Amino acid sequence: MDGNRRYAKKNSFECTVGHYKGFDKLSECLKWCLDLGIPEVTVYAFSIENFKRSKKEVDALTELAREKFQRLLDEIDQINEWGVRLNVAGRLCLFPHDLQVLISKVMLATKHNNKLQLNIAYAYTGRDEISRAASHIVDGLKRKEISPDDVNEHLMSQALDLGEPDLLVRTSGEVRLSDFMLWQISNTVLYFTDVLWPEFSIWNLLAAIIHFQRHSPPIIEEKENSPVIEKFLRKLEDTKWQQLEKIVAC
Amino acid sequence: MLSRLLREFLYYLVHLIVNVLVSLKHCYRRFHNKNHCLSQKQVTKTDVLTLLEKVPKLQKSLKHLVVLTNTDVHSTSDLAKLVIWSLIVGVPYVSFYDITGNLKTKEKDLFFEIEKNKKGIPGCIKWSNKRQLNGYTYGVQGNTVYINIFSYSDGKPKIVNCVKDIAEDKLFCERSSDEFTANEFDEALRKHYPNIPEPELVLYTGPLCCTNGLLPWQIRLSEFVQISYNNNINVNNFLGALNKYCKCDQRFGK
Repeated sequence: MDGNRRYAKKNSFECTVGHYKGFDKLSECLKWCLDLGIPEVTVYAFSIENFKRSKKEVDALTELAREKFQRLLDEIDQINEWGVRLNVAGRLCLFPHDLQVLISKVMLATKHNNKLQLNIAYAYTGRDEISRAASHIVDGLKRKEISPDDVNEHLMSQALDLGEPDLLVRTSGEVRLSDFMLWQISNTVLYFTDVLWPEFSIWNLLAAIIHFQRHSPPIIEEKENSPVIEKFLRKLEDTKWQQLEKIVAC
Repeated sequence: MLSRLLREFLYYLVHLIVNVLVSLKHCYRRFHNKNHCLSQKQVTKTDVLTLLEKVPKLQKSLKHLVVLTNTDVHSTSDLAKLVIWSLIVGVPYVSFYDITGNLKTKEKDLFFEIEKNKKGIPGCIKWSNKRQLNGYTYGVQGNTVYINIFSYSDGKPKIVNCVKDIAEDKLFCERSSDEFTANEFDEALRKHYPNIPEPELVLYTGPLCCTNGLLPWQIRLSEFVQISYNNNINVNNFLGALNKYCKCDQRFGK
């Protein structure tokens, strides 16, 4: 979702206005995805590196997140009716505590929905995600929950926050990953477009999808997990939910 | 049933139209670039002169270039040309990512092809994993290019092995909190990777941009640039790709 600030500059708005426009575009884009029957959408909202921006901008972005997550909570019945499951991927502890609580509440409330999964990468980098998954696997090995033979790429993939995408769209003419889903995009169609995110239209989305349909690499079949791995992954998942419940209870 | 048939019909219709449009675009490009697109088997004098003329205008230095190499469509002479052009431009690290897994078996051919193309061009070519081929470098003028060939096993499988080594205490990884930070894990991984800069530019040919598992840890800031829409590699589209790379503005999160 690149180009909010460039869009603001182009139209002589304040930077924050650009971010708000970008958020509006996100809701619009999600609607298109729902209509098109796309079951999982992941957006890169805020990178750990973005903390380097000016305090004013970081604060404004945190405020935007606070406001939007609160609104999501207020409209939770509607979201549950649509069947949207919200998953925030990233280093939660880097947010202010009140935002952590809001995010945890939203995630817990939409936990059982299954029509559309919306992953929001927030305080996220791909390297950070890989490092966290590595820590969990190292712990599993040390505690003898899994053996070294169980550890392979497939297990690493499943220990990450985000799943493997089929198509990755990057807007505003940038042609790099900027530390997004580094592990997951090995077999993904990367689609770079010059359009700024707030100006992204359904035609741009359709063009990306047609590009994907023309060039998608063959799907790699997933292997089934052994009971030991299943148990380990279930435990990881449970721990994640327990931590969220703890944050809410705090 | 009807709606499914209608959907399928629409799908084929849309793709048919897109195919026709894309073919027309390719025909136009072929016609338009008729004189420029001739790919020579070897580095020519014109190539060298074009590069020497255009290179000083490139604003940004490039340390590590990776080429997504598919041996089904890229010949060893294409790859050799890329190495020699990089030598002239002054790119110190050129790596080939072996998508099909066949390049490793053709390494010898590539070596001879590069040697053949290098004649008369000052500088030095070094093979990172075949030091016996490198010879002496005393008094050599010009640039040096280090060549690496990476494959899938240098990516995810290597990271997985590092994780196992950390768990078995064979590899040290500092842990200041519950979970490793990216910097801590990076320090550990570095011990398993050659000490070369991270790829800054990744070149690919054809319409599809896909990493195919290229070094997941190292490509976070790499720019992915298409060198040609077909699989043609010539000096003009190489320079075009370098120009595009120079225009990329990295903000590092700011």
